[in-house]
Amino acid sequence: MLLLSSLCFTAMALFCLAMSKHRQQIIAQEVPKLVVRFFRPAAWLLLTFTAYLSVELFGWSIGPALLFGALTMAILLLTLLLTYQAKIVPQLAILLSLISSISLLNS
Amino acid sequence: MKDNFRQSMKWFHTWVGLIVGWILFFMFITGTLGYFYQEITRWMEPERPFIEHSISNEQLIDIAQNYLTKNAQGIDEWDIYLPTVRDQNLRVGWRHAPEAGKKRGRYQRAVLDINTGAKIDSRATGGGRLLYRMHYRLHYLSSKISYWIVGFCSMLMLLAVITGVVIHKKIFTDFFTFRAKKGLPGWLDIHNVLSVIALPFHFMITYSGLLFFLFTYMALSTNLQTNENEYSEMRKEIFPRSAHLESANQPSAMLDISSLYQQVKMSWKNDDLSTIEVFAAHDINAQVLFIRHETDITYNPKDQVMVSAITGDVIPQASKEYTAAGMIHNGFFSLHEGQFAGPVARWIYFFTGLIGTAMIASGLILWTTKRKPQQMKKANGPDFGYRLVEQLNIGTIVGLPIAIAAYFYANRLLPIDMIDRVNWEANIMFISWALLLIYPALRPANKAWSEQLQLAALVYMALPLVNLLTTDKHLINSLVQQDWGFAGFDLTFLAVGACFAFAAYKYKTLHVDKKVRKPTIKQEVIKESGQGSKQGETFGNEGLLNAPQVSKGNS
Amino acid sequence: MTYLFNQFNLSSPSWAVFSRSLAAIFGGYVLATSSSLFIGQLLLNSVGKYQAIHIGLLLSFIVYACAAMWVFSVSSASKAWGGLIKLNVFLFVATWLLMQLNGVAS
Repeated sequence: MLLLSSLCFTAMALFCLAMSKHRQQIIAQEVPKLVVRFFRPAAWLLLTFTAYLSVELFGWSIGPALLFGALTMAILLLTLLLTYQAKIVPQLAILLSLISSISLLNS
Repeated sequence: MKDNFRQSMKWFHTWVGLIVGWILFFMFITGTLGYFYQEITRWMEPERPFIEHSISNEQLIDIAQNYLTKNAQGIDEWDIYLPTVRDQNLRVGWRHAPEAGKKRGRYQRAVLDINTGAKIDSRATGGGRLLYRMHYRLHYLSSKISYWIVGFCSMLMLLAVITGVVIHKKIFTDFFTFRAKKGLPGWLDIHNVLSVIALPFHFMITYSGLLFFLFTYMALSTNLQTNENEYSEMRKEIFPRSAHLESANQPSAMLDISSLYQQVKMSWKNDDLSTIEVFAAHDINAQVLFIRHETDITYNPKDQVMVSAITGDVIPQASKEYTAAGMIHNGFFSLHEGQFAGPVARWIYFFTGLIGTAMIASGLILWTTKRKPQQMKKANGPDFGYRLVEQLNIGTIVGLPIAIAAYFYANRLLPIDMIDRVNWEANIMFISWALLLIYPALRPANKAWSEQLQLAALVYMALPLVNLLTTDKHLINSLVQQDWGFAGFDLTFLAVGACFAFAAYKYKTLHVDKKVRKPTIKQEVIKESGQGSKQGETFGNEGLLNAPQVSKGNS
Repeated sequence: MTYLFNQFNLSSPSWAVFSRSLAAIFGGYVLATSSSLFIGQLLLNSVGKYQAIHIGLLLSFIVYACAAMWVFSVSSASKAWGGLIKLNVFLFVATWLLMQLNGVAS
């Protein structure tokens, strides 16, 4: 559950990075255009993987329900951070994805 | 109406949301508390012991079976509820034979003391069950009337959700946009963000809520298409029941349930078992059904194991046959109730419910915020309709949480042997809500907001203290015993109180600063304290100009 | 009460809103019922009687919601009433025809 939430958070942060308005909020320096193009597909990829993971872990019926719950929490956190502490979003996203990949490998 | 479809939907959204907004707020907040109804009941029965950390399921089953054999003689149906994360006590229940003319018999429950094996006598309380039943039973009304009122409100909620999606043009590009401004744009963004992030939940909870009374609401349609027999057959097809044997009236000695449990244990993890149902106890047909914590939103045949209590053999069960539509129907029920949710998922359910509550609150506040500048220019002060909405907002959005705290106070402070105690707990809740609805009519709106916020902070902060003075199940003891059921409850009270205190403080500073508009009432409801801080820094003269007129209008 | 309606400078007076509300509440309910009857007959042979009725009932709330939204989006209250009545009559007739058809078939 926490794993799902952190993956969702990272995916949503990538979506944010794909939008120029929000990118400026999060990152101070310019990002190469080529890299920017990769944010959105990467976000979709990660989201799809999270969806797959939720079904794999919790089954077809509960999995999607938990996925939406995790998404809600992740977006809530992200929206609040964007408003008040935008700068820590990238760090947090990297940290959460690291933690979740370690816990994935362990399980 | 308006030429433009979106414009007319916007108008529709506004009024559909407004007319039943307060009832919806009530339904959402009591329903959200329902996700923790077992925990609430346990807190409200402080005579129950603390959690016992090391005791095996077999021992627990033996204690329960001993008690039931002695105290439920001649009863066919027994239930044993094992301690779970949610309700950490051993409980039993049994159903009496139906009285003449009734379909089902009376159900009796008992919480057992693990050390003595005796029943624990708790104070009479409605507990969490009464609280969450309010969200569709509306407490004082007859069930028929309240189902129709609830249905009407839910229908309008469904309309508000759908129209909300229709009018929201850029649902994805604005996904994360939350401008922490004060006044109208700020409230609009809060409302949008709260609606969008939990949109699947809002739709699911509303639609499934309607499905609960589908056959009541659409009785005309079913009556036209089916006769009485066909109707009950249809119900059986939609909600299949697992079959069990009836008593054959031939007494027979039953095996120990804990020995039967050995067979079940092999297929499950040890801590999965949640409930045991016994049918035809002490009869030749005696059967025991072992049920584990739900692992599927419809039905997983592996969650249940039926064992004969006479021979000890596992009885293979025919799996329930669901139709496709029945699967959807039952799936929605299960999503609504969230019984399958583990601890983390349960908290997410709870927060999502609060997001829904806050969404309604922010919508209601948005209505007044939008009209405030125009209303304040009127020569005779604001219109009656505007003042009414504002007062109902204050009395409900802050008043109802205080009233719910009053329910908990009543539980601790009313005399234990009081007659009709259960009803008085609820009466006190509704009396306090009524008082808090009247109070804003006597005070200027900004004063009423501020005072009720302070009161809310005070009552929630003081609840753990009252708990400390009146029972031995207070925070210190529960932390020492590592009983998170009790401790989590008191800690949540403190957190809610702190959020209200923050909101009240924020309101005061903003108000002294430059009489700006309302504080972010909603975010203490959803318990995130950052949101309000930038709400009103530079909003200018309008508020200053308005303040005296508000008081005039309201007093 | 009039305040509530005048607030929005509706081109139509307040009774039109009242009329629309009645159309949405009662007309919509009848439409929900007739659509469920229609679906109940339409799917009768493919999924069985009970499930056909059930599907009709499950969809009735969506029909109700769409009807209410539609009532408040057309240009006048009389148009809303007219449309609802026409649609209802159509559904009842279609249901009756299907019943004849199904009756013959079974």
